[in-house]
Amino acid sequence: MLFNSYPFILLFLPIVLAGYFRLGRRSNLAPVIWLALASLAFYAIGSWQFVALLLISIAFNYGVGHLLIVAKLSPSQRKAALALGVVGDLLVLGIFKYAGFAAENFNALFGTHVAIHILLPVGISFYTFTQIAFLVDAYRGRVAAYALPHYVLFVTYFPHLIAGPILHHKDMIPQFEREETKRPDAHLILCGVIIFAIGLFKKTCLADGIQPLVALAFEARFPSFDQAWCGALAYTFQLYFDFSGYSDMAIGISLMFGIFLPVNFNSPYKAAGIVEFWRRWHMTLSQFLRDYLYIPLGGNRHGRVLRYVNLMITMLLGGLWHGAAWTFVAWGALHGAYLCVNHAFNALVPNVPAILARPVRIAGAVLTFLAVVVAWVFFRAESVTWALRVLHAMADPSNIIFGRGEIAALVQVSIYAAMVWLAPNTQGIMGYDHANRRVGEALRGGRMRPLFLYGASLVLAFGILGIQSHSEFIYFRF
Amino acid sequence: MPSTFASVKRLLLASAICALGAAALTYLVDPLQLFRPSRLAFYSDDTRMQNAGLIRSQSFDTAFMGTSLAIHFRQSDIDRALGVHSLKLAMTGSNSRQQAFVLERAIDRGARRVIWEMDDFIFVDAADIESDPFLSVDLYRRTAKGVASYLFSAAMAKESLFALLRAIPPLRAPLTRAAPYLPVKFALSDVDDIYALPRDFDVGRDYNAKKTLAAFAYITAPSRRRFLGEGYGYEAMVRHFEQDTVRLITRHPDVTFDIYFPPYSILQFVAMRDASPETLKTVTDLTAHIAERLTQLPNVRLHDFRAIKPVTHDLGNYGDVIHHSPAVDAMVLKWLASGEYRVDPSKPTASLVELKAQVEAYRVER
Repeated sequence: MLFNSYPFILLFLPIVLAGYFRLGRRSNLAPVIWLALASLAFYAIGSWQFVALLLISIAFNYGVGHLLIVAKLSPSQRKAALALGVVGDLLVLGIFKYAGFAAENFNALFGTHVAIHILLPVGISFYTFTQIAFLVDAYRGRVAAYALPHYVLFVTYFPHLIAGPILHHKDMIPQFEREETKRPDAHLILCGVIIFAIGLFKKTCLADGIQPLVALAFEARFPSFDQAWCGALAYTFQLYFDFSGYSDMAIGISLMFGIFLPVNFNSPYKAAGIVEFWRRWHMTLSQFLRDYLYIPLGGNRHGRVLRYVNLMITMLLGGLWHGAAWTFVAWGALHGAYLCVNHAFNALVPNVPAILARPVRIAGAVLTFLAVVVAWVFFRAESVTWALRVLHAMADPSNIIFGRGEIAALVQVSIYAAMVWLAPNTQGIMGYDHANRRVGEALRGGRMRPLFLYGASLVLAFGILGIQSHSEFIYFRF
Repeated sequence: MPSTFASVKRLLLASAICALGAAALTYLVDPLQLFRPSRLAFYSDDTRMQNAGLIRSQSFDTAFMGTSLAIHFRQSDIDRALGVHSLKLAMTGSNSRQQAFVLERAIDRGARRVIWEMDDFIFVDAADIESDPFLSVDLYRRTAKGVASYLFSAAMAKESLFALLRAIPPLRAPLTRAAPYLPVKFALSDVDDIYALPRDFDVGRDYNAKKTLAAFAYITAPSRRRFLGEGYGYEAMVRHFEQDTVRLITRHPDVTFDIYFPPYSILQFVAMRDASPETLKTVTDLTAHIAERLTQLPNVRLHDFRAIKPVTHDLGNYGDVIHHSPAVDAMVLKWLASGEYRVDPSKPTASLVELKAQVEAYRVER
């Protein structure tokens, strides 16, 4: 089921909200069970064939987690239990996500014709990572014993299940346990509706609106210089509005239930360096990779060279997490290299004179943005060869068309660039503070300006009017 | 200031009013001319959508159909060459189900003659027209669902708003001039300009032998040659031809169908010969069947332009292996008018035999 669909907005969400708060009058547990069942129903609509896999994964991880938390195991047994859990998770992910890719490469290397066709279960990358984090923390002794319904809801919670944000059990389960979240909070519902509206508008009007331009670069056999740039920039903005729109919708929906989800985007294209970019883009994935991959690999604790090696490994695996294709490996490798260069630069030039701070920041922002656009070409292209063809066109200003269509595309791309660089982001507009569980403080106590309210209603109306019948979120396929 | 619950209600109510207001605006402006023709209307290159409005708003006696091979024709040129009052309905990358569906609507609205550019690849398997995600049958039929999806649309509300601004006298001239360079769909002030190449178009830059040979090298590269025959299957293609084309023609015996096989460059067939011979066989067998079948239908005139050597062997006429230049467009109209390459019903495959001989004899100069 899609957030940007009439059945979800007009039926599913109101029914689940009503049931949640009605049950919340009687018990603290019943709404949790209701929400978990609703989440499973949400997943089953469109992906029913993978519900069993999701439930098996939950049962397996809850069981291993229970062993680590409750059972009296020796250190070696604990290590073995953790290894069993993590290897089991990765094995399932590997089979469903990477078996076809492995077979393809095996065939290419050895001239064989092994064919593996396995459908990718929606959301598997997200719920696998979420649960690996749970197991690792359980092993580290940082997890209290959770009740099964709360754990099931933590994994399946429908606002995040399909495409994140990647949740942390320590953040979510205590919120599910709180009684206050089961009572409707008009302020949170209002803020949730507005944040949802912003996300919906980003998706249906902005991301879907620029999507046709992407074909200029990625579906043309021989794109010209201007077509390649317009297409690559269009994809850069499409991906941002699509994914950050999804994240906003997830945050808004969750807020209606009284649950705060972590922020996933913080104006990433305003970053003045790649390190900063990764603190602003898909933030929950960056945190996961840092806490559960980069730091366990050694992080920056074993010298500069090993730090760069760890960065490269982390980003290569991060790339592969997005999809089983060499294009994603190339994308990860590029970002790994960018991060190494950024860290090396910071080490060489630790302090920029105050007078140069602003020009350096602007230059850094431009360079970062261009580097990110180049990397997105690999992320979007069907093959590395295709990506190189687009990049070649982007580097060849002698082949330029600049016809009517290209000028119109350039105007549209410029409007999007202005929005990305000049407009505030959703949490800025709404004063969303995940850490302190605060939102829309400026709107409390009758201070809400009618203009803001009516502006929000216009955004919601256009978000709904923008719904098209065939428009999935890009991150669904990861 | 109302309580927060009241604010929620107010927000939802205001959103509903906004949505209804947007729908009312689209209904009044009607950028697609779905409800009423307008002299102030502008037109879009999104032909799958635009055709739904054109069929209802334009007067015509001839429908012109095809794929991207027929997309650059100007209606005024067709009218002049053939002495008709035409409506161009060609759609890039369209299949036979889409073409037959749109033609059916055009015939219902008064077309007595159909000029149909017919590619072999339109008969590959594709979605059923009722569930086709790229062509809204409800919009063409103007069902409640189609009308609702048209009226309750942010994109259409944006277009309507732009049209409204453009109707304000001081803004009319500048916005009309600027529209083709802005991200708006309905940017063309003349129906003749839909997908037509601009008058000052640099033909030599886009249609030349270098580009044609590069396209040939691209499609015959070992890594891509499998795509040459993608979706080609003789049985299924014949079935689609019978269901979509023959059924439409026999259902309308009072309509004259001028159908033509377009003049692809010889390299299209040579690519198949060298990289995918089984696809070439499918194409020749299929078009032989089509020729034999169509020449037996009394209301069809079949024209085969595929073996006109001076055109198809001159690679400078093409932008890739199939798409020909506007100069060839003009020749096509001339040939249609003269009937010079009309297929003789007693020898329906004569031109195909000639084409096969040309393909066999051709040697690529690299």
